[in-house]
Amino acid sequence: MKTNFTDKDLTDKIFKSFSWVCSIILVGAILIIIGFLIIKGYRSLNLNLLFSDTNPLDALLLKKPVFDGLFPAIIGTLLLIILSISFAVPLGLATGIFLAEYCPPQIKWFFSLLFDILAGTPSIVIGLFGFSLTIFLHHYFYSRIFPCLLISALSLAFLVLPYIIRTTQVALETLPLQTRLTAPGLGATKLQNIFYVLLPSSMGSILNGIILAIGRCAEDTAVIMLTGAVAVAGIPKSVFSNFEALPFYIYYISSQYADQAELMKGYGACLILLFICTNLFIIAHFIKNKLSKRMLYRL
Amino acid sequence: MDVKEKILIIVFYGASILSAAITLIILGFMVVLSFPIFSEGLFFNILTKPWSPDQGLFGLGPIIVGTLCIALLALIISFPVSLGCSFFVGILNPKGLGRHFKKFVELMTAIPTVIYGFVGIFLLVPLVREIFLKGSGLCILSASIMLAILISPTMILFFVQSFKTVPQNYLNAVDALGGNIAQKFFYVILPNTRKGIMTGIILSFGRAVGDTLIALMISGNSVAFPGSVLDSARTLTAQIALLIAADFESIEFKTLFVCGICLYIITSSGVLMARYSTKKKRHHI
Amino acid sequence: MNIQKFKVSSLLLILLIFFQAGVCMAGGVEVFKGEKGILRISGGTAHIPVMKEAAKKIMTFNPDIQIIIAGGGSGAGIKQVGEGLVDIGNSGRKATKAEIDKYGLKMYKWAIDGVATVVNPKNSVKSLLSQQLQDIFSGKIINWKKLGGDDKPINVYTRDAASGTRAVFWKKALKKGETTRKANVVVSNGAMKTAVNNDPYSIGYVSVGFIDKSVFAVTLDGIKPTLKSVQQGQYLIARGLYSNTKGKAKGLAKKFINYLLGPEGQKIVREKGFISVN
Repeated sequence: MKTNFTDKDLTDKIFKSFSWVCSIILVGAILIIIGFLIIKGYRSLNLNLLFSDTNPLDALLLKKPVFDGLFPAIIGTLLLIILSISFAVPLGLATGIFLAEYCPPQIKWFFSLLFDILAGTPSIVIGLFGFSLTIFLHHYFYSRIFPCLLISALSLAFLVLPYIIRTTQVALETLPLQTRLTAPGLGATKLQNIFYVLLPSSMGSILNGIILAIGRCAEDTAVIMLTGAVAVAGIPKSVFSNFEALPFYIYYISSQYADQAELMKGYGACLILLFICTNLFIIAHFIKNKLSKRMLYRL
Repeated sequence: MDVKEKILIIVFYGASILSAAITLIILGFMVVLSFPIFSEGLFFNILTKPWSPDQGLFGLGPIIVGTLCIALLALIISFPVSLGCSFFVGILNPKGLGRHFKKFVELMTAIPTVIYGFVGIFLLVPLVREIFLKGSGLCILSASIMLAILISPTMILFFVQSFKTVPQNYLNAVDALGGNIAQKFFYVILPNTRKGIMTGIILSFGRAVGDTLIALMISGNSVAFPGSVLDSARTLTAQIALLIAADFESIEFKTLFVCGICLYIITSSGVLMARYSTKKKRHHI
Repeated sequence: MNIQKFKVSSLLLILLIFFQAGVCMAGGVEVFKGEKGILRISGGTAHIPVMKEAAKKIMTFNPDIQIIIAGGGSGAGIKQVGEGLVDIGNSGRKATKAEIDKYGLKMYKWAIDGVATVVNPKNSVKSLLSQQLQDIFSGKIINWKKLGGDDKPINVYTRDAASGTRAVFWKKALKKGETTRKANVVVSNGAMKTAVNNDPYSIGYVSVGFIDKSVFAVTLDGIKPTLKSVQQGQYLIARGLYSNTKGKAKGLAKKFINYLLGPEGQKIVREKGFISVN
């Protein structure tokens, strides 16, 4: 690139103001988005938003179903997170450990390429896969398989798997050599070293990865809208049931709201989802910074 | 090595193969299920014809063009802003503000896409309609603006990271020679980080192509070839979301897997390119 | 609810009580007593408000029953019920003969509805002729000025392929004519209403049951699409709302459909702006 600096100070000024302007634009855009949601939606944040006209206590004890409230959607999202994380974490941890500790380099290259591709695969493609898999199973194996909570959770697990693998792998690989060599020096086996030293030392980073994965499960819409999220389902009674979820609710309301009251619930749902996702992120950040140091001493 | 360890290694190995297989199974599923399209000689139909299932035309051309237009425009909007922001974090860093700004950008990655879509419908779309007084506001421009905000954290964080790889003594040398910040950037940082910047662009392009909700909610979803940025257009991702309710033995439904393959190819070639360029960069240093 | 509507509905209610006393006994939520299980419903988006209300009544009465409601459009409803993915598949059009033969579908019609052309309430164009409507949707007329409105381009909104509303509108209003590819595509009746309400230069079509003050129903060939004109057979773009089951309805699905056809169900149908059949 050829640039003529006829006036050094001027270019410097342009450069600096460009940086400032860009940063202000970005911060401004985000503040406008969040401010817009807050101004429009803060009034809808009350118990009525969650439980509508059902008594909150009855709803929480699952005695009475909630209609037109966010309670089933929040429970649905929660169940979805729990299920998909419990699929993805064991698989991701095991794979991450294998890649970091046991994998021969040639295979490692191939595996990590595949995981990078999986990480880049659009969520709707994974949703399409989950949906067609369901149809396939329904046709050829068991006719009582429908798009449901289980299928959604599995598909979401595929979506977040690469994050967990990657954070586990990187956390283990970047441990200081000192930590890595002490236990074997004292006669520990490799396995003991992994479970008693390496994993606990990298717990902070791994937890951080898991929490980011939870955030991804909470926010993703494309996968669940193809694999079992519906407009009305109530609290799912089993994993083979359809479910409601917060992000799907927002999508649904944005296009189908019948009146202003319903639209207000959409704003409320946005605020709740935003609150959940940003807080998960902040927790992850906190764990990364604080816990990773503390964990080292807990040995 | 005792038996326990052997068993566990096998478990770890098995887990890795299972996880790796998922990537391939997804691709395999798409290929097998879209196979009827190719065997029935509909391939050219898909490439050249418009999309009009009632008349037996299943062309994905307008949709692919729509996808690329939206993603490219998002890149064009996002790139300069992201570059400016990454100067701010990585080079200017006035009074340590850069660190806080970086935290803010990281926090942006936690904002759900459906929220961008929601705000897009109720804030941006009416605004675009009022300003340009043409069309419905559900258009490429609206979708691209929201996507630009969505992908900017990816770009900024990548740029900042690659700025960090420039050796400190290079930067000190510029200071010692009395160069200003702009010179430092154009003559030292940029040449040394061109590949990192490319990688950031490629990955955020993948992100823009792969996002469903923003395009589905605010791009209008029409199936004509877009003529201007104020025209409505449909993306591959929105096509899948819109047609998932179609009869699953129909040809329309089978073309969804072709869409899936297209998306898969676009994003995975992005990943390949990004890996290739970062590999090269490591060799240089 | 206006008085006219109220009169009609109360008259119908009285008639119902007279003629269908036998069915009435089984028409309330009481029949769901002691029932348990999941009822899956999907398909037509025009049906959703009625489905939701019915589900609310039934599930409040008996929380052991879980009713799941998804959209997707009529095509999806028919297909999914045929494949056994759902128990009831709703459609806003009759299932075709091929569909009925293939899956052994049984149709239950529980309401009559019209499909109205709608524009934004701010639009000065309040009536159209059939030919004009066809020209707008085919892309021949592209400016409101030609129809006596502002000098603004027309933004056409249509529905996705699975929509029964689209199928009916296409057949009866557009006379199977072409729809411009430039049309924006939305996924449900609710979404159409929202889109038209938000866009001052839009034109689209929704189920008559969805019309409220947020959109304006255009007079077509001199006839205003209202419940009354549909009911009296003047407004011709009309259709039934159906619930389909694979084979004869059984168990919960049967009770649900009976409930819809019973007095309580039909009351919901009228409350939600459709024309009851019983």
